Amino acid sequence: MPGREDDRALGWAAAALGGGMLLHVDRVPAWVSAAALVLLAWRLAAARARVRLPGTIARVLLAMLVAVAVLLRFHTLNGLAAGTALLILMASLKLLETWRRRDRMVLVAAGLFLLLAACLDRQSLLRAPLYLAEAWLCCAALAVVATDGFPGRAAFALAGRTLLYALPLAVLLFVFFPRLTGSFWSLPRGEEARTGLSDTMSPGSIGELTTSYDIAFRARFEGALPPPEQRYWRGPVLHDFDGATWRRGVGGRAAPWELSGRRYRYHVALEPSRHRWWFALDIPAQSPDPGVLLTHDYELMAARPVTDPTGYEALSYTGARTAEPLSDWDRLENTALPRGRNPRSLALAHALRTGAGSDAAFVASVLGFLRSGGFVYSLEPEKLGPEQIDDFLFRTRTGFCGHYASAFTVLMRAGGVPARVVTGYLGGEWNPVGGYLVVRQSDAHAWVEVWLPGSGWRRVDPTAVVAPERLTRGLLDLMPEVMSAPTRLLRGAPWLLGLLQRWDAANAWWNERVVKFDYGTQINLLEHLGLRSADAWALGWAFVAALLGWLALIAWQMQGGAGRGQRPDPVARAYARLCRKLARTGTARAPHQGPLDYGAALAAAHPALPGEAQALLALYARLRYGAGDPATRAREAEAFARAVRRLRVAAAPG
Amino acid sequence: MRVPLVAAARARMAAWVRRRQGEDVLPVTLARRRLYILPTRAGLAFGLLWLMMLLAGLNYGNSLALFLTFLLAGFALVAMHECHRNLLGTTLVAVSSPPLFARGAGALALTFENTTRAARPAVQAALDDGPPGSVDVPARGRARLTLPLTAARRGILRIGRLRLTSTHPFGLFRTWTWVHLNVEVLVYPQPAGSLSRPIASGSHPGAHPHGTLGGDEWLGLKPFRDGDSPRQVAWKAYARGAPLLVKEYVPTGSDLCLFDFAQVPLPDPEARLAQLARWVLDAEAGGERYGLTLPGTELAPNRGPEHRHRCLAALALYGIDAPAPASAPYAGTRPLHARA
Repeated sequence: MPGREDDRALGWAAAALGGGMLLHVDRVPAWVSAAALVLLAWRLAAARARVRLPGTIARVLLAMLVAVAVLLRFHTLNGLAAGTALLILMASLKLLETWRRRDRMVLVAAGLFLLLAACLDRQSLLRAPLYLAEAWLCCAALAVVATDGFPGRAAFALAGRTLLYALPLAVLLFVFFPRLTGSFWSLPRGEEARTGLSDTMSPGSIGELTTSYDIAFRARFEGALPPPEQRYWRGPVLHDFDGATWRRGVGGRAAPWELSGRRYRYHVALEPSRHRWWFALDIPAQSPDPGVLLTHDYELMAARPVTDPTGYEALSYTGARTAEPLSDWDRLENTALPRGRNPRSLALAHALRTGAGSDAAFVASVLGFLRSGGFVYSLEPEKLGPEQIDDFLFRTRTGFCGHYASAFTVLMRAGGVPARVVTGYLGGEWNPVGGYLVVRQSDAHAWVEVWLPGSGWRRVDPTAVVAPERLTRGLLDLMPEVMSAPTRLLRGAPWLLGLLQRWDAANAWWNERVVKFDYGTQINLLEHLGLRSADAWALGWAFVAALLGWLALIAWQMQGGAGRGQRPDPVARAYARLCRKLARTGTARAPHQGPLDYGAALAAAHPALPGEAQALLALYARLRYGAGDPATRAREAEAFARAVRRLRVAAAPG
Repeated sequence: MRVPLVAAARARMAAWVRRRQGEDVLPVTLARRRLYILPTRAGLAFGLLWLMMLLAGLNYGNSLALFLTFLLAGFALVAMHECHRNLLGTTLVAVSSPPLFARGAGALALTFENTTRAARPAVQAALDDGPPGSVDVPARGRARLTLPLTAARRGILRIGRLRLTSTHPFGLFRTWTWVHLNVEVLVYPQPAGSLSRPIASGSHPGAHPHGTLGGDEWLGLKPFRDGDSPRQVAWKAYARGAPLLVKEYVPTGSDLCLFDFAQVPLPDPEARLAQLARWVLDAEAGGERYGLTLPGTELAPNRGPEHRHRCLAALALYGIDAPAPASAPYAGTRPLHARA
């Protein structure tokens, strides 16, 4: 029959498990959390009010039901999302058959495993304290579960102290423990929300992105920053237009470019987007990573979606010139238009092209049309009809980058000039604390590249014609109304903005130094510390030395409470010494003997013992139990200690 | 249930430990070299879980998972130290037990002392492989733990080795030590038998009620308690400044029993001893005076707890080559030291 003590331990084990579940509550399906909550309540009710718990058969059926439910929802039991859901449900079921100490320990272990799953899932700085708190809770619960009647406060204090002592070792191991360069098996992830630029663009799609304050990436430059009007971050390049949506083309041949202009070297720290795009300043000169392809359109496309914070060194040039004439296929692809759509726009393009002497002049005249046509830059444009481009150019005349890039490309193509839409980001906010540019999702942008004879692909940004201030200022400064209220509030106060920048710098540091600490970083750090990677022995010895140092420190710290008690006072110490000396006679003091009893025993056993010894024993008795003023006693105590030191006692023969 | 091989290994281990540590003399302070420590089952499971976490962290190159793993590694190592520390420096001050009856329940009392600033929760003790008891020893304090004790036969029960254990704080490690003490507990014969008590001749049953004045034998003075008759108060002594005392008398007219080993009509000596023990208890409970005669021992008629103990001890040790029992009805610390 479980007693109160068992119920209390159960409560703690359930708390450790519940803490682990809370870390996943926004990720797992709601019914999983609900089921876990019901099972938890059921078990706690059974502990309190003696509600009946299900029998063995019912539990087995429930477990099977749960496995089937997870299988139906995720179509697998493997993978982080499905595995987490399964673990949550199975651990909750385990609650129903938790009776003994061992069962409660299993619950705490499940809490720790959920914590591990949370670490694998998300590693942001904001969540790190939550993880630490859960680790603490689990350790405290372990203490309560392991020792009957151990008070909760003491358990928290003990667990906290233990983890604090463990921290140096954790840091040491984190830095020195050898990492794998690859992985044995990859982590199957479930479908997760994607953020950031996608592979397609319809005129309105970027608008959804621009209200997001999330960070796309951070860029740290060696040397000077590019001027604001050069901060075009190149993303997916779109060729195919069906009248409503732009898509990536079927692919062409990379035409060799002659890179020119200013050269920028910088480090990009990319936030997870679940997309395959990496971003670089227009125009990237090389692929930053073997797993990333520099496509014919000068996009950076990774082999795998970006699921974790990723860092890379990039190299870009501001200018480039295509060396060869455009191939027939490329010309065909970049002048194609959906047949029979947007007739008014086509007519306008023909008229403007006829009036212009060259392709370059045609570009200028279309830009002129946009500049003088009463176009308005707005994030909340009217909804467009089926003939989107016509509707935009001749009726609504309000829109943002997606609309302008889309319409401009259509006009170019209608005039026979090869043109394509480039999506990416424009801008970046300088963070003085961290010394880097922050590019947010709200900086998402779309612009156009046109092919002009003699100079090749040239960047044209029609939005800049309509809203030139967009080039130099972030969208959020331009249109604060698009921000959510809390974001607006945050950016409203300068001191808050400073705080925000500090927080962002801390995040950047966290991502770069902690989250992305891998084999390469480790080798770099060790070399920085003066340890050559080739010198594995030195590394090993340094690690062992540090480990031993830590162990010694811990052992020493522990002794503080254990070995050393209160130091006995000088009189007691001198008395102990006296007894040790007298024990050499062969008659040791028995624990129950007082000084006078011992004296009598000594006198009986060794009549030849010097009288000084007897006198000292009597003096001790007086010092301990007699009366006297403190000053005299202190003098006597000193004299006693001196006399004991001088006393010579011959060892007993034999 | 136990595999013979394991049992043999355990016995060898026990012998080795005994040789290594030697005989212990109270008080025993648990020093470093006599404390052993190993992971518990839970600790091994934790180790397995930890390995899985490490593998996952390494495989996915996940820094936070790795850091958590390393933190838990440190946690386990510190927990090992803390577990060890929970026994280190603890002192077993006294081990004692009042005499018990054969096949009856007894209690072995263990007194622990902790002179340090750290409390030692959940210190467990057990008789060799018996069921453990647990006690929290407070910082700079003492705590007492009683273990159930049983004896199959009368005589002297030697306490074998004691096992002191702790799995505090996290149950991941078990630290333990063995204490080999020379503690002996007196075991009275199990009272049994249904023969009626022999009543000595010359007694006058019910001649006087208890506590009356008259020809009763004067026993002594005892402190006054509510309900005592004012006629019995030693007023003269009170007048001289002594506290209020009451004169006590033994009613000479009360029952007197003389129990003789040779006279018990039972063939088996053990059965005779059991019957005698029964009579002693009954006579004591009935407030009678009783005497006991054993071959070589004669105890004059008397009554009271001290007398009862002397009689039962004589019965317990009859035919056993052992030193005379201590005068106090407690075996344990003191006689042990006298011998040590």
